[in-house]
Amino acid sequence: MNPYIMALLLFGLGLGTTITFASSHWLLAWMGLEINTLAIIPLMAQHHHPRAVEATTKYFLTQATAAAMLLFASTTNAWLTGEWDIQQMSHPLPTTMITLALALKIGLAPMHSWMPEVLQGLDLTTGLILSTWQKLAPFALFLQIHPNNSTILITLGLASTLVGGWGGLNQTQLRKILAYSSIAHLGWMTLVLQFAPSLTLLTLLTYFVMTFSAFLVFKLNKATTVNSLAISWAKTPILTSLAPLILLSLGGLPPLTGFLPKWLILQELTKQGLPLLATFAALTALLSLYFYLRLSYAMTLTMFPNNLAGSAPWRFHSPQLTLPLAVSTATAILTLPLAPAAMALFAP
Amino acid sequence: MTPVHFAFSSTFMLGLAGLAFHRYHLLSALLCLEGMMLSLFIALSLWTLQLDSTTFSSSPMLLLAFSACEASAGLALLVATARTHGTDRLQSLNLLQC
Amino acid sequence: MLKILIPTFMLIPTTWLTPAKWLWPTTLAQSFIIALASLTWLKNLSETGWSCLSTYLATDALSTPLLVLTCWLLPLMILASQKHTALEPVNRQRMYITLLTSLQFFLILAFGATELIMFYVMFEATLIPTLIIITRWGNQTERLNAGTYFLFYTLAGSLPLLVALLLLQNNTGTLSLLTLQYSNPLPLVSYADKLWWAGCLLAFLVKMPLYGVHLWLPKAHVEAPIAGSMVLAAVLLKLGGYGMMRMMIMLEPLTEKLSYPFIIFALWGVIMTGSICLRQTDLKSLIAYSSVSHMGLVAGGILIQTPWGFTGALILMIAHGLTSSALFCLANTNYERTHSRTMILARGLQMVLPLMATWWFIASLANLALPPLPNLMGELMIITSLFSWSWWTLALTGAGTLITAAYSLYMFLMTQRGPLPPHLIALEPTHSREHLLILLHLLPLMLLTLKPELIWGWTA
Repeated sequence: MNPYIMALLLFGLGLGTTITFASSHWLLAWMGLEINTLAIIPLMAQHHHPRAVEATTKYFLTQATAAAMLLFASTTNAWLTGEWDIQQMSHPLPTTMITLALALKIGLAPMHSWMPEVLQGLDLTTGLILSTWQKLAPFALFLQIHPNNSTILITLGLASTLVGGWGGLNQTQLRKILAYSSIAHLGWMTLVLQFAPSLTLLTLLTYFVMTFSAFLVFKLNKATTVNSLAISWAKTPILTSLAPLILLSLGGLPPLTGFLPKWLILQELTKQGLPLLATFAALTALLSLYFYLRLSYAMTLTMFPNNLAGSAPWRFHSPQLTLPLAVSTATAILTLPLAPAAMALFAP
Repeated sequence: MTPVHFAFSSTFMLGLAGLAFHRYHLLSALLCLEGMMLSLFIALSLWTLQLDSTTFSSSPMLLLAFSACEASAGLALLVATARTHGTDRLQSLNLLQC
Repeated sequence: MLKILIPTFMLIPTTWLTPAKWLWPTTLAQSFIIALASLTWLKNLSETGWSCLSTYLATDALSTPLLVLTCWLLPLMILASQKHTALEPVNRQRMYITLLTSLQFFLILAFGATELIMFYVMFEATLIPTLIIITRWGNQTERLNAGTYFLFYTLAGSLPLLVALLLLQNNTGTLSLLTLQYSNPLPLVSYADKLWWAGCLLAFLVKMPLYGVHLWLPKAHVEAPIAGSMVLAAVLLKLGGYGMMRMMIMLEPLTEKLSYPFIIFALWGVIMTGSICLRQTDLKSLIAYSSVSHMGLVAGGILIQTPWGFTGALILMIAHGLTSSALFCLANTNYERTHSRTMILARGLQMVLPLMATWWFIASLANLALPPLPNLMGELMIITSLFSWSWWTLALTGAGTLITAAYSLYMFLMTQRGPLPPHLIALEPTHSREHLLILLHLLPLMLLTLKPELIWGWTA
């Protein structure tokens, strides 16, 4: 792609999210979301490949529908209460509709089925943008409307953690596994949204860091299936020995970073008198942990028989930049002892 | 709920139902999306008219501009799909399932 | 605490910076120095029972024996692993030592923690190094299955524990072990409180393991390399018993009634796993099942909640830690020579390795609780306290003791006596490293008979 056009599109991507962040009016927020969607579509379809085009089409249809539903809900709100302000949502009907529209936009179960398919059609860089940057704007809106319909939020959250764990169990494609992992993490964020929005933000940020390292590890190894991870020993030995820690951190095993949001969310849920929900949510995390564990087995903990040519790629110097990966990996593994600082930073 | 409110709501819901249940051609999905956007255009312009607010009068035009952009992106994707898959049937978009 | 923790942590740079030739001697020496320094914990002069008190860490008479056992085991693991890692690239050997060291680091933090949540985090943190040791350095493909079982049994038990601990914190406002026993007793009456009780203990019973949730343990033991088996049998199982003893004070009124099924399971497990041992063909699996059997006795002693029960449980945990670790080392010396764990393929080893037969003899006797050894002291105290609770338990514990003697004899006879198979004529002779290894297991055990008050905890 022409670098000028690329720069323009990336600028549009940033601009859309920023407009949504800055807006207090629903129409402006909708415009930000639309700019965002329109900017990423050429990025997704830049490889003229049937799978990329198919993923783009599916993404376009869901995002356009979600955005239209969002605007419809806010128009209904305006007709019912005369209010366009994002933070002044008072009527339950439009609030619920907006919650569902945003759930469709970020891919919460049961509106999740587009997410694995779309991610599967993209290359890892665009996939990374899709599963991190594209979640920011909808979550900014989510945090501003203070949804208080706890039945819907808990149903969405629990269904997402369950589906995110269940769906990934049988996958052999890394991008689909990452998509299901994203669904499960978004479910955790939704569970705690009505009680402690700051925790949602903390979870979102830790998820970004962890998934950033996971995507970059796979990108560095040029791996898109579980099988192709098996020869990563020969390509990046040190990174390969750290990769299970990143993956188990995504799974939320202490003493890694991924345990921090889960711990705080469980604490908040028990504080709100929902210990059964907390236990059930914690147990659904085991489902996700299973496929992370399987990835670690395939990548690091088993050695596949290899010929000489297959075990030599570490000799070739990779031109890819590894500094961001190093920083994010360190953050994704080691931040649990900083829990008090994180809690102070995100205190409500 | 005023009759006007009911009118544009039902139009929107009809478009949404068409998008959700009539999954045959990509073109028809795009048409349904466009119908949804036009019902929103009506809603916004009638809201402006009803309140006689000049500050809000530009919003239907903004909406229309954005929905035009969206429609053109959709049509571009229709062309791309036709070139890669040879058809615009939504059934043929099955490469990514598993 | 820091005087042990910092040298333990600095073992990792030592591992990576020493030249390859001196890798094993240096780490061994440093870990021995740490173990020696850790013996100072045993001198506990404070009146409250807590000593070495800092903001997050402290030792008392319950945790000190387990802490010292942890520190003692690291040099032994390093000593035991030299042979089977010798053929690997040096960086992988370094990685292996690093994992063992990190395991000791987490274990010290777990046993020394004064906050229950910190204990929980460290309890879970031991999973990752153990998992990597089992699944990366195990010998057969079944190791992956064993690793999965190990991880998921433990986690499925301990995630409810996390929620239960958070609930406890909401109710009492603290999770500090120092103050928890002085907080107001909780009114535990409702059905939900009973679930909470189960949530508090289930994780430890799985880790222990109780009969019925023990399936992960034989798998993990059989597939793990020698150091993994040693640390699993000697220390990791004891996390369960330790956690139960710590939690028991909070569960006061409910345990009387609710512990019945668990005591029955534990004692029934003593008999059942002992019987499984009697028909076992796999040497490591036999030792693993004998661990389950002994830990069933420990679980019974803890659940009965008498001072003698606690004391016996702690003594038996320490004694069993040393004994089963020694047995795994002995099994490994056989395995390194015959490359098989099947007992029928390596009989009559007394003929070729006579001094090893002596060690087998002593370790088997320790396993079946021969009189002066602390194993007997622990078992006897538990059996007595169970007997004073209900006469009928004597049938189970008595039969259990008998079966223990039977399978220990079976194990000894199968490996040491009988005809030497012809394919075993040209065995490698024993090394003094191996003799030292076994001696360092059995010597503390025998010395403890002279001064058992080091390990009988706060209750006696």
